[in-house]
Amino acid sequence: MRIKSRFRNLHSSLLSRYLLIIIAALLLIPVVVPLTIGMYSLFNGMTREQPPEKYKQYDNINALENTWHKEAKELLGKPPEFINERLRALSSTYSLAVMFWVDGEGQTRLLLESVDPKLWQQNERYSVPAQWTAAEAISFMKKSNNLEPLSIVAFVGDQAEAGEGFMVMQIPAAVKDQTSVDGFSSWFTIVMLVLFTGFIIVSLLFFIQIRKRLLRLETAMVFTGEAGLPRSIVPGKSDEIGRLETAFNTMVTELAASRGREAEEEGLRKRLVADLSHDLRTPLTVIRSHLHVLGKEALTPRGQESLKLMDERIDSLSGLIDNLLSYNLLSSGRMTLNLERKDVLRLLRECAAAWYPLWEKEGFQIEMDLEAEPLYWTVDESWFRRILDNLFQNIVRHARSGLYVSVKLEVIDDQRLIVISDHGRGLGSGSESKGAGLGLSIVDLLIKRMKLEWKVDSTRQGTSIVILSPSDGILNET
Amino acid sequence: MKLMSVTLLYVEDDRDIGIAVSADLRDRGYAVRWLESGEGAAEAAAGCQLAILDVMLPGLDGFTVGQRLKRAFPNLPILMLSARTSIDDKLQGLEFADDYLTKPFHPDELAARIEVLLRRTGAAMSIPLTLKHLMVYEGDNRIIEADSGKEILLTGKQFQIFSYLLRHLGQILTKEQIYEAVWGESYMEGDKTLMVHIRYLREKLELDPAAPEIIETVRGIGYRVRA
Repeated sequence: MRIKSRFRNLHSSLLSRYLLIIIAALLLIPVVVPLTIGMYSLFNGMTREQPPEKYKQYDNINALENTWHKEAKELLGKPPEFINERLRALSSTYSLAVMFWVDGEGQTRLLLESVDPKLWQQNERYSVPAQWTAAEAISFMKKSNNLEPLSIVAFVGDQAEAGEGFMVMQIPAAVKDQTSVDGFSSWFTIVMLVLFTGFIIVSLLFFIQIRKRLLRLETAMVFTGEAGLPRSIVPGKSDEIGRLETAFNTMVTELAASRGREAEEEGLRKRLVADLSHDLRTPLTVIRSHLHVLGKEALTPRGQESLKLMDERIDSLSGLIDNLLSYNLLSSGRMTLNLERKDVLRLLRECAAAWYPLWEKEGFQIEMDLEAEPLYWTVDESWFRRILDNLFQNIVRHARSGLYVSVKLEVIDDQRLIVISDHGRGLGSGSESKGAGLGLSIVDLLIKRMKLEWKVDSTRQGTSIVILSPSDGILNET
Repeated sequence: MKLMSVTLLYVEDDRDIGIAVSADLRDRGYAVRWLESGEGAAEAAAGCQLAILDVMLPGLDGFTVGQRLKRAFPNLPILMLSARTSIDDKLQGLEFADDYLTKPFHPDELAARIEVLLRRTGAAMSIPLTLKHLMVYEGDNRIIEADSGKEILLTGKQFQIFSYLLRHLGQILTKEQIYEAVWGESYMEGDKTLMVHIRYLREKLELDPAAPEIIETVRGIGYRVRA
C-alpha cells in the first residue's frame, strides 16, 4: 500500500519527470549514433557531392600506392629527361600532390609543387634538399612518418638495387581526410547538436512551466479578495506544485473559517456589551426621570442640592459604563478598527465644539489653536472621538480647579503634535484623579491600536497631553 | 406657552421610563402617544409632528421601526433614544434619524432636543424666533429688525448659511460643517469663501459688524448662533 502510494508519488513527481527527460536524452545517444550512421550511408550519395571532385582520386590510398610503384617500375633505366617528363605528366593528373625525384647520386632532379599550396599546413612542408645525404634521407623518412601528409616513396625501377634513386609523392592531410571522414563527421556533429539543442529546449520548457505555475501561486497569495483573504485557486496536476496549491487552498479555507469565527465572536461580544449597557442604563434613566419629578416638588435648598449631586453622579456613572464596556471590547482584541485617513484637526474641532458649551458653563478659560493645514492620520473616526471625549471629560471632571483648557497644534522638530493641556492639580494627586484610570486606559489602548503615540506630563500645576503620529514625520519629509 | 396641537409619538418598552417621560412631556405641553412596542407605530404616527424611538425594543427594533416611519412619513423628524454604548450604533442610527440621545438622558435635554427638531422641521414655525434685535420667521424665510420693523433681505447663500446655523441653534459649527452643508462639496483648507459670506451676512444682520452678537465666532473652532 505504502509502496504503491510512494510509487504514485514518484510517478507524479517533478523530480521523476525531469529524470525521465535526462534518461530519454541518454538513451537517445546509442539510438542516435547508429541511426546517424544508417542515415548517413542512406544519403551518402548526396553528401558525397560535398567534397570537391578533384579530391576523389586521392580517395583510395592503396590504389595510389600501386600506381606510384607501377610508374616507378616502368621508369627503370630511363634517362632523367624521360623521368622528368613522366613526373610532369603525373603531376598534371595529381595536381594537388607534391612530387619530386632524386637520382642515384642523391641529387634532387625535379620538384613539382602542388597547385593549391593553401591545402598544406605550415608544419607539413618539408624542404627538399638539393643534395641528399644518407642522414637527410633517414631524416626525411622519419619526418614522413610523423607528419600528416601521406608520402608515397618508390625507388625508380621499383627496386633499391637499381641505384637510380627514388621518387616521392606527398598528399596533404586536408585532401586525404576530407575524402574519407569529413562528410560523415559533419553529419554526426549536426545530429548531436540537434540532439543537445532539443534536450536544452525540453529542459527549458520544463522549467518555464514550473516557473509559470509558481508565479501563478505567488499571484494568488499576494492579491487578496474581498474579505482581505487570498482567493483559492484551481489546482492543476498532482505533483509537488499541485500539492502546494491544494495546501494553499486548505489554508485559505481555514483562514476564512477562522475569520468567520472571529467576526462571530466579535458580534457576540458586541451584543453582550449592548445588552449589558441596556440593562445598566435603563434603571439609571428611571432614576433620573424620577429625580426630575422629585425636583419639581417643594424641597429645601439642601434637598435640591443633593438632587443635583445625584443627577451629576448619574452622568458620571453613565460615562463609567461606557468606558467599562468599551474597555471590555477593546481589551478582548476582538474589536476591529475601521482605520481611514482622516484630518484629525477637523475631528478635534468638531469634538471640542461639543464640549465647548460645558467648559463655558463651568467657567473655563478656553484656548484653541487649530488653524493649520489639515493633519492626516490613519485613525478610526469614532474611536478617535472616543479618545478626545475621554481626555476632555477628564478635564471637566478632574481639572476643574484649574479652570483652563487649551487644545493646540504645535510643531516640534518638523513633527506636528496635538497638545491638550489643563491647569488642574495633576493626574497623580488625590481626589481629582479618581476614576480617571479607566478612561485613560482606553485612551492608551486606542492610541496603540491606531499606531499613534502619546505622552502625559502631569505636575501639580497642570497636565499636558501630547499626541503624535510617529509615521507623520516620515511622511511629511518624503 | 406651547401649542397644544403638537403631538409626539413615543415608543418605549420600559414602563417606568415610559410613564415618567410621557408625564414630563405632557407637563411641557405636548400631546403624547406612547406605544410599548413598534407594532402599529406607522398607524399611530399619522398626525404626529415628531417621533421618539427607543433603539432596543422587543420584536421590531427601533432602527427598523424608524426606517419604516421615515419611508411612510419622510418629513417626520425622528429622535432616537439608546441605552447602548455610543460606539457603533450612533452612526447606523443617525443615517435616518434626525437626532440621537443616550440614556440616561436628562428630561430637560430631551425637551431641548425636541424643541430644536420641531423648529427645524417647521412644526413650530409660526412663532418667530427672537434673536437679540431680530425676529426670524423661519417658515416664511423672513427676518425683521424688531425695532424698525424693516425686513432684512439676504442672498441665497447668505440665507442658507444663516438657516443652517439656526437649525443648530446653540451648537458650535465648524467651517467645514457649514461649508459642506451649504455648498454640498468638501471644504478645502484655506478657502476664504465662507469667511467672505459670513462678513457680508454680519454687515446685514449685526448692529455693529465689528462686534457681532448674532453670529458668534468661536476662536479656533467655528461659528455659533445662540438662542
